[in-house]
Amino acid sequence: MPSRSDLEADAMAAAAPATAMIEVDRVSQIFQTSSRKDHLALSDISLSVADGAFVSILGPSGCGKSTLLYIVGGFVSPTQGTAKMKGKPIAGPGPDRGPVFQEFALFPWKSVLDNVMYGPRQQGVSHAEAEAQSRALIEMVGLKGFENFYPKELSGGMKQRVALARTLAYHPEVLLMDEPFGALDAHTRTRLQNDLLNIWERDRKTVLFVTHSVEEAVFLSDRVVMMTRSPGRIRQIIDIDLPRPRRRTELLLDPRYQKYVVDIERMFDDSNEIELP
Amino acid sequence: MISWRTLVTRLAPLLASLGLLVIWQLASLALHNDSFPTALESIRVIPSLLGDPETLINFAASLRRMAIGFAVAVAISIPLGLLMGRSRAVASFFNPLLMVIYPVPKAALMPIIMLWLGVGDLAKTLVIFLGVSLPVIYHSFEGAKAVEEKMLWSGAAMGLSAARRMVRIVLPAALPEILAGCRTGLVLALITMVTSEMIARQSGAGNILFNALDMGQYDTVFAMIIIIGALGICLDAAFERVRQRLVRWSDPQFDIPLSFS
Repeated sequence: MPSRSDLEADAMAAAAPATAMIEVDRVSQIFQTSSRKDHLALSDISLSVADGAFVSILGPSGCGKSTLLYIVGGFVSPTQGTAKMKGKPIAGPGPDRGPVFQEFALFPWKSVLDNVMYGPRQQGVSHAEAEAQSRALIEMVGLKGFENFYPKELSGGMKQRVALARTLAYHPEVLLMDEPFGALDAHTRTRLQNDLLNIWERDRKTVLFVTHSVEEAVFLSDRVVMMTRSPGRIRQIIDIDLPRPRRRTELLLDPRYQKYVVDIERMFDDSNEIELP
Repeated sequence: MISWRTLVTRLAPLLASLGLLVIWQLASLALHNDSFPTALESIRVIPSLLGDPETLINFAASLRRMAIGFAVAVAISIPLGLLMGRSRAVASFFNPLLMVIYPVPKAALMPIIMLWLGVGDLAKTLVIFLGVSLPVIYHSFEGAKAVEEKMLWSGAAMGLSAARRMVRIVLPAALPEILAGCRTGLVLALITMVTSEMIARQSGAGNILFNALDMGQYDTVFAMIIIIGALGICLDAAFERVRQRLVRWSDPQFDIPLSFS
């Protein structure tokens, strides 16, 4: 089985390589539920993400995988432990970490172009330059001709393309993708996965990608972090040793790809976790 | 070629107004009561009423108070409502206060306000201000509460400070709801304008109306009611035009037929 044991994973995290872009060290997160009970969402998570790596966090819903992403984004501060970006503790959100949410979170009162231009303008880029860059990005995500549309006039897949362009526009060093294709239909989802890979293979930004789809995680990632259900713990870290550039149609026929998918699904099955509603 | 349905939709407001006048006319003829003039009698008074400079001066005074009260109320209520919507502490401080004030008819405060501030512009403008504030605060509050957290996170990741997120994200995102509150506020401004003048009888449209009532000029009373009603329709229509321009991005698209149409 192409995977390491929990112990080895912990040892790996402890001896993080010098090029680590993100380091999460013994992070736990406790939320207070509406009935005022403490809910342990994340328990003792340690993780290191190398510069330029595409890492997926894979787990059943409710395992706290999005919370882990929000902690790295600086949107949520951990109850215990620390998260670092290039060695510096993460104190809050910043343009070095660009989020892409399942809910798109576009600014509905702004056109596609203005949405994409918003970040660079905020960073002090001149209007003309921001516009030129944004137009190029909009073309790259396949939305040329939709620059003046409002978000409400776009389909879900198009909205997520805008959201991706909007985040890429301010050049974050890390992309934090929170189940970005979770709200899309199967066909659109596949197309966006392909396009994301094409875009990523050009500049190899560090990506932290949260998903509950095994196929998606294997197809996209260099490394898959499997999580257990509540409280979220790291169950196993699996390196995906598949050649790049990856083409979906080739990969689907590749026995190595199939084995990764089946092995991971078996591990989730074996854990006998009860389905939560 | 305009379709039959479009024609009906366009003419509907006119037909409704005409229908109301016809019912009024018939009811008045049937009841035959001095204090209930017919629609035609009342409408006949309107030209001479509006031709009188005295009326126009009174209306100008009324509208000025209404505009000031409305503008000040909106300028204070929107920031307050937005802050309440994004800060639990601010909300739990102001919410009980507002819940106490909301159901109190603002005109009922007029006698006390008159004792303090006299019967002049200040007292009346204050009552209008109170009438407009609450719906605008309430809608701004609800609008700000509903702003998607992740939209604010996206802004924070771009480097927007908390204050700028408030102005650049919460305000525009809540604008449709805020403007719904302003629209209610505008109607309430008109109502409190007339009622404040009814209590502090010094000048204004309400004053003309109630003077006419005292003198038994019922056709003038009803003419004034028509004028005030028409004023309300015009103000609302003008506001709606501005609103549509501002929040075109949020309006539902009527490109599919509505159910029940």
